[in-house]
Amino acid sequence: MAHHPTPTDRSDEAAYEIRISGMLGSRWAGWFDGLTVRDGGDGTTVITGLVADQAALFGLLQRVHGLGLPLISVARIDPGTNPRS
Amino acid sequence: MPAPLIETKLFAPVRREGTVARSRLIAMLERGARSKVTLVSAPPGFGKSTLLADWLGVARAEGRALGWVSLDGSDNDAASFWMYLVAALQRAIPDAEALTEGGDPRPGPTDVATAIVNALAGVPSQTVLVLDDYHVIEEPAIHEGVSFLIDHLPSNVHVVIATRADPPLPLARLRARGELVEIRAGDLRFSQDEAAAYLNGPMALGLHAPDIAALEGRTEGWIAALQLAALSMTGRADAATFIADFAGDDRYIVDYLVEEVLERQPPRVREFLLQTSILGRLTGTLCDAVTGGSDGKATLDALDRANLFLIALDDRRRWYRYHHLFGDVLQARLLDEQPEVVAALHDRASAWFERNGDLPEAVGHALAASNVERAADLIEVAAHDLRVNRQEQTLRRWLDVLPDAAFDDRPMLAMVHVGALLQTGETRHVEDRLEAAERWIAAARGEPERNAAIAAGMIVRRTDALSHLPSQIALHRAGLATFRGDVTGTIANARLALDAAEEGAPLERGAAAGILALAQWASGDLEAAHQSWSQSAASLAAAGHHADALGVSIGISDVERAQGRLHAARRTLERGLRIGTEAEPPLRGTADMHVGLAELDREANDLVGAAAHLAASLDLGEANGLPQNAYRQRVATARLRVAEGDLDAAVELLDEASRRYDGDFFPDVRPIAAVRARVQILQGRLDVARAWAEAAGIAATDEPTYLREFEHATLARLLVAEGSDAGVALSERLVAAAEAGQRSGSAVDILVVLALALHARGHEADALAALDRAIAIAEPEGFARVFLDEGPPMAALLTVAVRRPGASAYSRALLAGTTTGARVAEARRQPLIEQLSDRELEVLRLLASDLDGPEIARELYVSVNTLRTHTKNIFAKLGVNSRRAAVSRATELGLLGNRARR
Repeated sequence: MAHHPTPTDRSDEAAYEIRISGMLGSRWAGWFDGLTVRDGGDGTTVITGLVADQAALFGLLQRVHGLGLPLISVARIDPGTNPRS
Repeated sequence: MPAPLIETKLFAPVRREGTVARSRLIAMLERGARSKVTLVSAPPGFGKSTLLADWLGVARAEGRALGWVSLDGSDNDAASFWMYLVAALQRAIPDAEALTEGGDPRPGPTDVATAIVNALAGVPSQTVLVLDDYHVIEEPAIHEGVSFLIDHLPSNVHVVIATRADPPLPLARLRARGELVEIRAGDLRFSQDEAAAYLNGPMALGLHAPDIAALEGRTEGWIAALQLAALSMTGRADAATFIADFAGDDRYIVDYLVEEVLERQPPRVREFLLQTSILGRLTGTLCDAVTGGSDGKATLDALDRANLFLIALDDRRRWYRYHHLFGDVLQARLLDEQPEVVAALHDRASAWFERNGDLPEAVGHALAASNVERAADLIEVAAHDLRVNRQEQTLRRWLDVLPDAAFDDRPMLAMVHVGALLQTGETRHVEDRLEAAERWIAAARGEPERNAAIAAGMIVRRTDALSHLPSQIALHRAGLATFRGDVTGTIANARLALDAAEEGAPLERGAAAGILALAQWASGDLEAAHQSWSQSAASLAAAGHHADALGVSIGISDVERAQGRLHAARRTLERGLRIGTEAEPPLRGTADMHVGLAELDREANDLVGAAAHLAASLDLGEANGLPQNAYRQRVATARLRVAEGDLDAAVELLDEASRRYDGDFFPDVRPIAAVRARVQILQGRLDVARAWAEAAGIAATDEPTYLREFEHATLARLLVAEGSDAGVALSERLVAAAEAGQRSGSAVDILVVLALALHARGHEADALAALDRAIAIAEPEGFARVFLDEGPPMAALLTVAVRRPGASAYSRALLAGTTTGARVAEARRQPLIEQLSDRELEVLRLLASDLDGPEIARELYVSVNTLRTHTKNIFAKLGVNSRRAAVSRATELGLLGNRARR
């Protein structure tokens, strides 16, 4: 039987920064699973934090889309923050 | 019991009083109704559902049939999705009786879609099917099925997809063909005129043009925002001040406005809105359960009257949901203001759904509450119905999020997880779960033991099923051993399961005997496998699982063929065919019986019979086949092509067969690659065949084993073709092994190559002796193609054989077979009374292919309906009443000429 790596052997976790048009305010942090929600200036909001994997990232983007907020940018930040990679 | 339908999901919303008439968009939808698909794609709050409700009023007035499905996350399970889609169509078109899902255990993505296409083709009325909130669908198999449905849609049916994001369907193709009408955010935004019509019309706010322009500008025509703004202004004396503040604020528009609206509500209503925002659907008593109040119904009615973003889900206004956007904002506020109460609210909702018999919703809320105990209890109870309804994807999603500890004291739940894991071939976690269940195995013995276990912490919700625990554990252990290729472990555990299963548990016994048979077969003990399988078939039939019993018939006939008992194999398959076709619709697995009989007909050199059985198998459709049939049917067709001399077509079919390979736990005793290598040897492509042997890792010096017997016999053929000496020794060892294992079917295959090997080396007397031994086995059982497929070398040997005094009639018949070809050539030729048109001949050739109905229609660029007309005419002219008979008759008449191929 082949050895299957356990899920903790590797991680797809990564930090992302999502910038959206519209001012949300930090009260939305709970809605976005505890990520940081801050004012990005110029009427934008920046959501940052670790997401478990790509599926979680797309779930997050769907939440943004669900509020009808235009997306400005999505960027992966500082891959060094993932200690296991 | 079939899964209960949530009726509200099938309820098409009705036009609300005070909706702004949008004639431009209605005209677009009408244009869409004349094409195939309309896509309404925009973020929430753009009035998608409202517009569709408005338009459906028009469509209804014109007598079009309407089906509506409001999709939600639970429809990400193909079984659930298609169940609702079929239910919506059944309500729309009650006379489309054929719209039923055949209770098929493992339908492929396009199977249900095919059935729907066929059923809709016969319906005369114009039909509109709306799939609302399609963006919740993520399951690729569902997209595949919907793409298929759209591709094959009859011209009287029109699909409308409302979604927040463009779905992964072949939109570009539809666009290019002009079959898609799109209504997007830009189309849906309120123009300034529409904003004015709304604000000063139904909302009667009496606003001036500059105020309207300011509102329209700030909201960018986003309807939900305009509605919220209007609500905030209702009854306000200072509308102008409000507009100025609003226009000058840059906060998230909905947040700002919801705050405005909430501020104007009494605290009790405000609290009600926040607390009930966790619910996907709302009704009075559910709201009471969640809020702890008693005025849920009255509050919902009041919110409905105040137009506070409630959407009625039925025409008696019992069920509602919040507008998604409003609900999301409320929920975000709840999470921010009272994070500590959220879990308790979900718990109460879960309890309400449990009391009201909606276990899936109850599980969903329990998981949202992170209440593992509650979720685990509910899943254990819900598992049975979910499995019966094939909603295993849902079951897996739930089980996978439970922590490992949840299974430790729950043996029955652990077994549910093991079953779900093994079903998809996953073995990780299986061992842990089995060990967890084994710790409580004593509890199955009787009531005192059970009570002792419960006192020690065991949790079981379905105590009635506890007595099956030991046999289930053993059965799953056998299954796990099978996955690991551990034959000894499989046999030992399957025996345990068989012993542990009570007399009154025929299903368990049938399953255990089946696994035992597979392992015995894999270890080469054909007689034991035959016995176990016969026992399995009897138990499965006693349990009423006739389709599974057909699956067992395949195994029995395979073993019988290996034993050289072709007549017995024929009886097995014919009995299966009888049982399968007596049911209406035919049992799943009937197609497999035809494929097995086609193989037997082909071996007997009855190529017409083989072609007819293969056509009959295709006629039943892919959904009728058990998992193995997709590849077996192609292998059987390929071997028929070999017999007909079309080797290129055979290789092509074998390539396709290997892509469709699903052994369904059967030992792979005749690998497709080896079958293909034999064809390549016949083609003279010895280098390719040699590459196969290297890749397969077999050598002439290997010890013979049953599992690799067919491959070794193929290698022997290669050696003979290469002119090597080694073929003789290898064949002799293989014959000895086959005879020792009483595998006459294998023996005749190997004796043939031994005879050819000896003849090629110039040992004519020995060659003839080997040939005689082969014929001695072959004659009583009617083996023929095993000789004939060898072509000229066999013809040469047979020519020598028949010259001997006292040569058998059988050898003369075989020689005749090699020289005159298939029976096709001797077929009687009677002229048709009415000739077939060119188009009908084209259809006929496709009927002889392995395409199914909708595929043929696509190939010909006609509707399934038109195809039916052609088929009917062809049947009439040929004087037949089935595809199988038509192909058979056409073959006899030589109408197929150069055979149609894919």
